Amino acid sequence: MKFALFIGCNIPVRVPQYELSARTVLARLGIEIEDNPEFKCCGNPIRNIDQNTFLLMAARNLALAEKQGLDLMVLCMCCFGSLKKAAHVMRQLPSIREEMNGLLAKEGLHYSGKFAVKHLLSVLHHDLGIDALKEKCTKPFKTLKMATHYGCHALRPSDVTEFDNPVAPSIFDDLVTATGAKSVEWPLKLECCGAPLLGVNDDLSVELTRKKFADGRRAGGEYLCVACPYCHMQFDKVRQIMVSGQDTAPRMDSIVYPQLLGLAMGLERDALGMTLDIKEEVVAEPPAKPKKTAGRTKASATDVQPQE
Amino acid sequence: MVYTMLLYLALVVFGIGLLFKVAGWFRFNIGIYDPSLTVSVRIRAAIQGILSVIFSPKLATLIKVLVADVLFQNHLRRQDTLRWVMHMLIFAGFTFLFFMHALDKIIITSLFEKYYLALNPFLLVSGSMVLAGIAIAAYRRFILKVPRLKTNAMDAYVLIILAVILISGIAMELTKLSSYEHYQIFWDIHFLACMVGLAYLPFSKFLHVFTTPLSLLANAVMDANSHPANVKTRQIMELDACLHCTNCSKRCSVAAASDIIGNSNILPSERIAVLKEYVAYKEIGARGFAALQEGISLCTNCDRCTVICPAGINLRDLWFNAREEVLQREHAAPLVLTPFSFYRGLKRQEMTSDQYKQPLSNAVKDLTAPFERFSTGEVVPLGPQNSEFKKTAVLSGGTVTYAYCFTCENCSTVCPVVGNYEAPQQALDLLPHQIIRSLGFGLKDAALGARMLWYCLTCYQCQEHCPQGVKVTDIFYELKNLAVVEANQSSAQNGSESAAR
Repeated sequence: MKFALFIGCNIPVRVPQYELSARTVLARLGIEIEDNPEFKCCGNPIRNIDQNTFLLMAARNLALAEKQGLDLMVLCMCCFGSLKKAAHVMRQLPSIREEMNGLLAKEGLHYSGKFAVKHLLSVLHHDLGIDALKEKCTKPFKTLKMATHYGCHALRPSDVTEFDNPVAPSIFDDLVTATGAKSVEWPLKLECCGAPLLGVNDDLSVELTRKKFADGRRAGGEYLCVACPYCHMQFDKVRQIMVSGQDTAPRMDSIVYPQLLGLAMGLERDALGMTLDIKEEVVAEPPAKPKKTAGRTKASATDVQPQE
Repeated sequence: MVYTMLLYLALVVFGIGLLFKVAGWFRFNIGIYDPSLTVSVRIRAAIQGILSVIFSPKLATLIKVLVADVLFQNHLRRQDTLRWVMHMLIFAGFTFLFFMHALDKIIITSLFEKYYLALNPFLLVSGSMVLAGIAIAAYRRFILKVPRLKTNAMDAYVLIILAVILISGIAMELTKLSSYEHYQIFWDIHFLACMVGLAYLPFSKFLHVFTTPLSLLANAVMDANSHPANVKTRQIMELDACLHCTNCSKRCSVAAASDIIGNSNILPSERIAVLKEYVAYKEIGARGFAALQEGISLCTNCDRCTVICPAGINLRDLWFNAREEVLQREHAAPLVLTPFSFYRGLKRQEMTSDQYKQPLSNAVKDLTAPFERFSTGEVVPLGPQNSEFKKTAVLSGGTVTYAYCFTCENCSTVCPVVGNYEAPQQALDLLPHQIIRSLGFGLKDAALGARMLWYCLTCYQCQEHCPQGVKVTDIFYELKNLAVVEANQSSAQNGSESAAR
């Protein structure tokens, strides 16, 4: 099993523990990955502005994977949604595909759509399988309760992303359950994290995240489990905004899925980036103080420990 | 006599030019203006900073960088062997020539009394080294045609002047014994070219022999605790440290966008050149400014350029500061209302609330201007339908599905943005189903002007839950694209009107 790894723009700089833990876990699970330094922006951020630019940027990456002769494995859900959308458009409308190929030809690239685009979670669930995964979890969690956060752009639009049942998805819950942790049911599980509007309409963006925090806590979740850098950064940032604004509403820490999995597999914490100082934007903020009001006190995601 | 005068003239121009440049590093400003950082504050901070580094353990870092990155250019070797060979040939050859040949009267003659060689093999070897380096550079720029390796007039000038100096020098050496007449001609060409190169050095790319090591050294010892005055000074200096090697543009995450949008400011290496002019004069024309703003906003902040820059320029911080300045100065382009602004959101504590919000609210205001006629209470007739608009709004497959809408309002019911407000229409102008109906009625200003479009999360809940298969989110994307086109057209019109006035 071999994939071309698409890490996107944000992970290497701002969520390096996601990349590190994913690489460690994948290597241990025997899933081969091939890097391609030529992969660039997936095109998602420019969709608001110009469809053709978005399509070219996405198609370029798809064509590069095709040149490698490999299926793509994507870590970011926004990148995943964007690449799937471009592949979908180019499959539906051959004229657009030809137009893109004309532009790609300048770089000696061509896209025909022979290879698949998959998210890390799909690879683990479908290509590897839950049973194989469970076997590897030699140090499963016993009492940990996770609020599993699906992320929008992998789930919807389902006819394009082909990720899971959009209304009652189970892939991510299955994967979390495989580590021994309990995936709690919470009403806002499938809602947006708020990240697409951070930097655009912060009041709205932050409010949506606060709602998720409160809802996840109410359902008994101890941590959020995510598989997208944007969701993760959003949760980090809103927590920081709440702390500095002395907002006492419930807060939650998030952890990226390969870290959770790696811990259950008994892997080294360092190899999973658990101790990595990732919060470059947070360092200026005072450390969170335990608060007596509403919800639990804030614990760091690095406190997650598998229990014997 | 003439030669000596020319030499002094060149030296004087060189000296004044260098002073002028260095003064600029302390005078010019980039980023949000801070009146407390005056020129004298910046000069004092720089001197203090330099002294405090020299008399601290950081000196070891400086020496390490000086040897590994300045002399041997290790970081370049790791990236691209051919480029490293090219640069080392030019660098080593030229350094040798400079000290052993140009300054031979001062250095060699003082060491060896009877130094004179009729045909100096060392000169020929080092000269050939530089020439080989130039040949590789020219090959890369003009024959290999590396994608997005742009060549500007300065790049060409540097290669040409170096080639003239070298070829005339070698010809001079070779004709030394055979023909005095030819020798004299070559000598004149050689000398003049050297003087032009020297006099023009502070204004040319050659300045990098000073500024690039300076940038590498400064960035090696500066950190988050450095004096803000020094950060400002360093950032202006860094603009002169850029060699226009275009490495950044080749690695740039969004470089492909420039192929379609056709704005070279999207490429970091080209943007630096524009910024250099901008910081000096703060005036690059309305069109130039708009292009700069677009280029600088269209950035995912992936840091690849910063990691790859062989001159060690901290491009990440440079872009952030420059973007803030151009966003504050003129109305922001629609690009600020996209996920490209996420990084700015992460860094919002670095500016005041007003500075943070102003560009965003201006951009929303500009884009939603067409909707104003609906807010004034004016009665808008539903016909005749703007069928031309309906035709333009179906750029991609699926968008045409707006016609299937039977106004069940499912989209607006499941929308988390709508659900966030007690009076959503006040905050959003129109709800999702109303936008789809406006499109159905051909009401262009309503469909393109509602704030809902720009406050859409693109979470696709609406589209997923539509019983009629209306591609709501995809239609919104398309309407936003059209609104951008409209806004650009109207701002171009305003621009030409004000220019006419």
